[in-house]
Amino acid sequence: MDKKRVSFLSIFVFLAINVISLSKVIEGFYGKEYGHVYSFMIVALISTGLATIAFFTWRKQEYKS
Amino acid sequence: MTEDRKKNNQSANDQDMMKLVDNLNRKEDVNLNRRAFLKASFGTTVALGLATTPFGVISAVRSEKEDSNQVEIASVDELAIGEAKNFNYPTEDEPAVLVRTPDDRYVAYNNKCTHLQCPVFYEKKDNVLLCPCHKGYFDVNNGHPVAGPPQRELPKILLEVKDGKVLAVGREYRHG
Ligand code: FES
Repeated sequence: MDKKRVSFLSIFVFLAINVISLSKVIEGFYGKEYGHVYSFMIVALISTGLATIAFFTWRKQEYKS
Repeated sequence: MTEDRKKNNQSANDQDMMKLVDNLNRKEDVNLNRRAFLKASFGTTVALGLATTPFGVISAVRSEKEDSNQVEIASVDELAIGEAKNFNYPTEDEPAVLVRTPDDRYVAYNNKCTHLQCPVFYEKKDNVLLCPCHKGYFDVNNGHPVAGPPQRELPKILLEVKDGKVLAVGREYRHG
């Protein structure tokens, strides 16, 4: 698989990760388990960062020609 | 006559359809949609990711407040073994109960029942915490429900015994 395809698909993986993390964060917040809130917040932020990298990689390839 | 008309209609329809097909540049259309879709997905990913931060910030502020909250609730000789005392912790409107257990330890829990928030009492006779509303029973040693409708444990108040005083120093919602 080429770079473009990988970054394209990975964005959906990061989207899924963020959906799950956000729900865990909210669950931890209302259950007052602040440890969970922090760890899933960090997971979500990292995956957001990676998604940004993937998106710009994809964009570069997509609009190259 | 009607047959004829139908036929005419039919062919006119076909002509229209052909024009539509001419208009369509399939490759480009699919491309554009795919791009837009990815961009929307990326936007959603970022939005969801960033939406977690306010929860983190509020949690940090809250737990800081709770950490620095030390309150004296009783002196060591105030309660005899098997006696209990009500107090409020961490704020004035969160009732709690302090128990000196038969094996001479201090334990404390917020005593709002985790079923429907009735006040929970210490029953010396059976050495349990009892919620009279629907006969909910909690274990004195760990605050976990043992019988009746409640499903979750009572929030545990962390205690410290210092200089002959019993201090409340924190709270745990989910514990052992
Ligand atoms: S409120 Fe305590 S058992 Fe229902």
